[in-house]
Amino acid sequence: MTTEKHRPSGVLGRGPAFWAVMVFISTALIVTLSVTGAIEQKAPLLLLTIVPVSLAMVMFRAGYKMADSPSASCGGKGAAQKTYIKRTAIFTSLYLATFGLLMFADREIGIEGELKFALALLPGLAICGIFWAIGRLIVEEKDEFMRMLVVRQALVATSVALSAATVWGFLESADVVPHVDAYWWAVAWFFGLFLGALANRVQYGTWGAV
Amino acid sequence: MNNRLKVLRAERDWSQQDLAERLEVSRQSVNAIEKGRYDPSLPLAFKIADVFGLTIEDIFSRD
Repeated sequence: MTTEKHRPSGVLGRGPAFWAVMVFISTALIVTLSVTGAIEQKAPLLLLTIVPVSLAMVMFRAGYKMADSPSASCGGKGAAQKTYIKRTAIFTSLYLATFGLLMFADREIGIEGELKFALALLPGLAICGIFWAIGRLIVEEKDEFMRMLVVRQALVATSVALSAATVWGFLESADVVPHVDAYWWAVAWFFGLFLGALANRVQYGTWGAV
Repeated sequence: MNNRLKVLRAERDWSQQDLAERLEVSRQSVNAIEKGRYDPSLPLAFKIADVFGLTIEDIFSRD
């Protein structure tokens, strides 16, 4: 009698959900360090964002490996999800590269003017690429149930980010909270995706694709 | 909406994964439909009916 040996999918034996929690925890720590004023300078905070982004890369890898495992999906259904993971990994890499370039050019070379504008634009555009990848996933996903889960996640994420930005904006106008750079609302949106996945898990018994 | 997916699957000795492959959807989709957590679209309901060789009414019913 032969038994098929179970090969754990994911990275280091952990699935994407575990790594998503790690991304969330590390992001929450950075936000806490920023809000409490434990780290006041912007440069170390920005450098620290490499940690959750790197963990996100591991999460994508774990998701890709899981999508490839025989028990995860079937009949080419995972094709859209695999493409999404590839696109997100590419844009995350671009974010890391362009952000590193911006930091290096700003601190070591001291760029100014149009060149600085152009370099500062690139990391934001890379993050926009991730939004585009999620949009394409919704368009390309042929499994209607999985597509609905992604849409739900995106709606939760949008609600979280817009609500947080609105409330914080008024508080900031009243000078009762510190200033928060606008790119943190993108971080809030990704955190909202995590909450959306939790909501999917509670209501439908599965985390979803993102 | 109620459905007889689990019974029909058991009669054919199909796992959720087997049915998912026939429907070209994820196993999670089959699980959600089977447990009544998700109501399929009309095209998917027709596909399910075709896979079992039955009509939609034979598989799905109102609460």
